Order: sequence, then structure tokens, then C-alpha cells
Amino acid sequence: MQSQNSEGNLLERLGGRAVGAVKGLLQLITTLMAALTAARASGAGARAVVGKMVVRQIFYTSFQAVGMTSLMALLVGATLVAQTELLGGALHRETAGRIMIAVILREVAPLVTAFIVIGRSGTAIATELGIMRVNHEVLALASLGIDPPRVLVWPRLVACTVSVPLLSIFFSAAAVLGGLLVAFFMDSHGIADWRHGVSMGLTAWDLPLLAVKSAGLGALIGWLCCHYGLSVGMSPTEVPQKASTAVVRTLLACISYNAIATVVFYWLVGAKLT
Amino acid sequence: MSSSIPTASTTNDEPGLTLDRLHFAYKKNPILKDLSWELPAGRSALVTGSTGSGKSSLLYLAAGLILPAQGTVLQRGYPLKQLLPSQRVQKGLRVGFVFQEGGLLANHTVYSNVTLPLHYHADVLKLSAVALAERAEQALDAMQITRRHWQELPAHLSYGNRKRLLTARALAFRPNFFFYDDPDAGTDPRTTQLTQQVLWKMRDDPEVTLVVATNRPHLIESLTIPAYRIERGRLTQNFARDSFIPQQ
Repeated sequence: MQSQNSEGNLLERLGGRAVGAVKGLLQLITTLMAALTAARASGAGARAVVGKMVVRQIFYTSFQAVGMTSLMALLVGATLVAQTELLGGALHRETAGRIMIAVILREVAPLVTAFIVIGRSGTAIATELGIMRVNHEVLALASLGIDPPRVLVWPRLVACTVSVPLLSIFFSAAAVLGGLLVAFFMDSHGIADWRHGVSMGLTAWDLPLLAVKSAGLGALIGWLCCHYGLSVGMSPTEVPQKASTAVVRTLLACISYNAIATVVFYWLVGAKLT
Repeated sequence: MSSSIPTASTTNDEPGLTLDRLHFAYKKNPILKDLSWELPAGRSALVTGSTGSGKSSLLYLAAGLILPAQGTVLQRGYPLKQLLPSQRVQKGLRVGFVFQEGGLLANHTVYSNVTLPLHYHADVLKLSAVALAERAEQALDAMQITRRHWQELPAHLSYGNRKRLLTARALAFRPNFFFYDDPDAGTDPRTTQLTQQVLWKMRDDPEVTLVVATNRPHLIESLTIPAYRIERGRLTQNFARDSFIPQQ
């Protein structure tokens, strides 16, 4: 009898979790759809206001992150080359150059850039929108005939979608530069082999792969962080809780998306990348 | 619609604000139950009730800021649920809402708080840059917000100034629906006086449908508009006007 009860409780809990997960997913989709619908709404005045907001958000998300991205990219590129040098030495410099492209451009650049944007902008987005909810600013916008998804979600979604690819390209270039510098200082005579490896490793598919991956990662960051920020209720204590949820779930979503994108891309055009 | 709907007046045929069988709950706590109400265009009403009775929720619902669990809210016959906030303005519905707490855009200056909605709807309201600036300046001057504060953030203003800024922003929008949540709670005498002047002006304006939520006896007496009381989630009109005064 007792075991039947505990089985019933377990099923109830599992069912409750499943229903909660589906509801959460539907709410996420609603946030995205609301932003897309509002963005297409008419109004020349609204378009001008929102356009300025988009530009400002792109500035905050990308240009203000250039310093940190440069430093991290230089260090990542440098350590990668140092490690491959230690593993293969002069015999494998060409291979090291190819590894540099495969690892940095195709995997590390989009993912680390996404992590930088989550840390800098994702937290800021979730916290700012959460505070706006608590302070009735979101209701105030609606009362003034301003569509909250259009001015709060859309600019941040676009900014993240544009900024992560831009920063990823910048990251890749800086990482290659960092690697080049280390390769030069370790053995200036072998630099030609390393550069040859880099140019051999680079294919026409790398830029589309980087663009699709990083734009998707950016969209995920903007979407999820806006959603969790706007899901704050009336209490200020919910703001750090939702910001933390936003960061953790966005990280998880980005790593999952990156893995799926890699598998799909290599399945579609893998032969052309070797 | 139910036959026992409280109506502020039956002389004006133009539809103003219509609440039809509203249900609203906060965290599974029912606040408003099967509430219906009609307020013709250009009329004013006052909503009172004990703390937590649902006055603010009623105002939020009537202004279309939140959606009811069940029921319909209409402004001038337009169902708010089916319209985005910007589409409401395109239909000629302009809402002025003064919140009891908060509601100012923290990252915008005092001036930008007033001008943002005007810029957003500049094409609908047919406002040139000059007309827009004039309208904002008029509203800020009318609420006696000194010019040295105009480029400051709302956080740097006193409570009274913030409340007056909320009113100025609502006035600059030239609303035809004006909702005022607890107008003079905790305000200084100057703000209280200015607020009352605005309320009287709105009350006397035939273009404006005014709803005020308050518990202040002096305001209920001085506004001389039909008063309603929220009791157990419903609106009643036939109550003793002094019954809201806490008994010792």
C-alpha cells in the first residue's frame, strides 16, 4: 500500500515536472513571438525610437566588449599554440596551424564569445528587465501605448544576434594573432610552416559556420535572458534569482546548441572541411 | 452582460469604459470576481475599498495593463485584449496612468520620460519636433518641475517631484482615459494641491474618462464624482460614503 502511494507520488511529481517544462517552453516561445510580432507593428515614430535603441544596445553588447574579448582571445590563442608546440614541436607545426583553425574558429571563438556576452550583457539584460518589472516600468510603457516586447526584447535580441558574430570574428583574428606571436617567440624559423597550416586549415565553409553558430548563440542569449528578466514578479528578491536562472540556462542552451550545430554542420559539409 | 451592472450615468450613450464579467486572481487568490461595470465616455468615477481589496488591480485591468483571467475590457468599444498597446493609440485610445509607486523609466531623464511616448507616437499624434518639445515643456511646467531637474534621472528627484513627473508624463500624452492610483498618498502639500487641480480639470473635461482609486476621505468628498466600493471582489455603489473611514 505504502509502495503504491510512493509510486503514485513519484508519477505525480514527474507529471508535474513535465507539465511545468512544457509550460515554461510555451512561455519562452510566447516571449519570442511577442517580440517578433511587435517588431513588425506599424508606426514610423516607433520605428525611429526602436532603431536608436537597437544601435545603442549593439554598442553596449559588442563595442564595449572588445577590450575583454581581445585579451581573452590573445591568451587563448597563445596557450593553444604553446600546448601544440609542446606536443608536436617543429615536426608538427603545420598540423598545429590547422588545429588552430579547427579549434578556435569553429568551436572556441563562438562559444567563448557567447560566454563573454552572457557574463557581460546576459546578466545585465536579465537584471535590468527584472528591476523594470518590479518598478512597474514595463506596465508604464504599456500604459503609454509603447509595446514592451518591441522596446525591451527586440533591441536586445537583435543586438545579441549581431554582436556575437562580430565579436567571434574579432576573437578569431585576435586568437590567431596571439598564436602567431607565441609561435614566433618560440621558434621564429618555423613560423612559415605554422602559417601554412593556418591557411590550409581555413576553408570557404568556415565563415558561414562561424556566422550561423554565433548568430544562433547570440539569439539564444538575447531571447532567454530577456525572457527570464521579464518573468520576475513584483518582489525585488526575485531579480537575482531570475538573473542566476537566466545565466545558467543560457549557458546550458548555448553549449547544447553549439554541439548540435557542430554535428549538423559536419554531417552536411564535413568532407569539405578536411 | 449582467443586468445589475453598476453604471455611473445613463445620459451619455457613447461607450467609455466597459468591464464585462471580469475575474482576476493574484497567485491563486481571487481578487475580482465576476465584476461588471460601465463608465460612459467623458464621465468620472472613484473606486474605494479596503487595503488589498483590488483597487489597483481594477485600475490596471481597466487601463489594459494586465489581462483578466476571464472577462472582457473595452475602451470606447474596442476590446483591449486584441490590441497591442501601440494599436490602441492608433485607434485613438490614449491612456494616462499615474502609478501609486514606481512607473518612471529609471534609465531615462526627466525630460525623456515625458518625450519618449511622444516620439514613439509622433506620426500617429501628428507631432512635429517643435510641437513635441512644446507639449513636454508645458506638461513639466504645469506640474512645477523646475528646469534644472529636466536632465536628471528620476532617482535623483524627491518623492513629490517623481509623483508630479508621473502626472506630467500622463498629461503630455493628452489622454482620453485617465487612471490615477492613490493620488495624494504620502505627498507634500504642493504636490497634493497640484494633483487635485489636475483631477478637477480631468473630471470637468468632457473628453476624458477618469477613474481614481483612493481611500482618502477628503478626496472622496472634494471630487464629487460617483464613488464605488470594491467588496469581496465586486463593485457596489450604494454604500455610506464615510464607511471607508477606519473605525476606532
